[in-house]
Amino acid sequence: MAWIPRFITFTGLVLLAHAGYSAQEHAALASTTAQHSNQAGTSTSLPIDISIETIVATMAVCIGLVLNTPNLRPIQWNVWAGKIEREGAEGFRDSSGAVEKDYRGNPFSTLESRPGFVDIRKQRREFAEWAKSEST
Amino acid sequence: MISLSQDRGLLSHPDALHVAQQAPLVLKDAPKTISASPWASLFSAPDTADLWITYENLLLSCLRSGDDKSAIECLDRITARFGSQNERVMALTGLGKEATAKGDEQLQHILTEYQEILGENAANIPIAKRRVALLRSMGKDSEAITALGTLLDSSPTDAEGWSELADLHLSQGHYPQAIFALEEVLVLVPNAWNMHARLGEVFMMAAASSSDAQLKYRAEALKRFARSVELCDHYLRGYYGLKLVADQLQEDKIRSKPKNDPDSFTIPDQETLARLSEVAMERLADIVRRYKAGEPLWQGYDSSAIAAAADLLDKTKQTLVR
Repeated sequence: MAWIPRFITFTGLVLLAHAGYSAQEHAALASTTAQHSNQAGTSTSLPIDISIETIVATMAVCIGLVLNTPNLRPIQWNVWAGKIEREGAEGFRDSSGAVEKDYRGNPFSTLESRPGFVDIRKQRREFAEWAKSEST
Repeated sequence: MISLSQDRGLLSHPDALHVAQQAPLVLKDAPKTISASPWASLFSAPDTADLWITYENLLLSCLRSGDDKSAIECLDRITARFGSQNERVMALTGLGKEATAKGDEQLQHILTEYQEILGENAANIPIAKRRVALLRSMGKDSEAITALGTLLDSSPTDAEGWSELADLHLSQGHYPQAIFALEEVLVLVPNAWNMHARLGEVFMMAAASSSDAQLKYRAEALKRFARSVELCDHYLRGYYGLKLVADQLQEDKIRSKPKNDPDSFTIPDQETLARLSEVAMERLADIVRRYKAGEPLWQGYDSSAIAAAADLLDKTKQTLVR
């Protein structure tokens, strides 16, 4: 459902551009009529529909952007750590349902698995034994 | 689903097999060589960090599952990109040789190779680590401890190294040294909740094997477990340890009450211990219940850890009924 906020933002931007164009046209028209008629008191203020369109468009853009932001993360250490332990990767999905790219799990788990000191021969042995027990 | 592009800890056997089976596909999809030049990346596949971490993960899993052909292919591509003189690549190459070595002579040969590399450049940390790991793998634990000691002398801020040292000492039964090394780890990364729990566990082991300093070790273990659950809400491992040690301390106190130790450590009074144990039990029960009920945001736990916690809860219930 990632397209809904994007669609709202896009629509808002289109409306905003349209409102801007309308205002410019209105200004051009108003100045020419003022030149030709030479009458004082002709209304030169912006029509109400253009104002409303501008406000609605701005709000739509804001809503779309807010809806499109990634999920907020806990800012307290213990809450954040608890979320990692409790939810695992499930808790770190973005609006399209994929696990977020910068999700790393517990950043200190490498202190216990220690990839720099990996004993590959032992792992290989254990894996071979496991494979044997699986196949029989 | 296991993401390939993440640094990860130790995989279980089925997961490692699953990753290794993906290797031929990934190797087929990705281009053979990737140029580091910025112009080339306009026309060919981009040179992202993800790709290289993927290759490294594949290399480890393939070596483990015995798919040496894919492993060598991964290694070749990494070497082609970073050069054979890159320290990390040197360590990976050594890893590949270790895995495919047959017999002690070849291992000895690899060890002398490491020695030579370190003779040229003693600051090659990845190779120094490989050397320690190889020594340990060959069963020469005391030599590994000496080698790791020299490594840590030159780079004392290496938390991974201290952690390995603790593990080495622990496997030898040197509890005080293991505790010291883990305390060094905590000095470097004071917020690592799993290392606090680990230190608590080592204190428990030390308490179980020694008779004179038992109370002191348990008091320390209590502190470490309490800190780990302070740093991490819903930490099953921390609450499990807290419950165990609080119960043990309660029994200890009943048995040997009027004992003024010369060492300065304090054990909380019975009431506090009882409440700690109770709180830990409540939390554990909560975690186990929610995990078993399949609540979507409580599924990050390890199933074996949940089983152990459920076991502990059953035991406590039985003693309460009695």
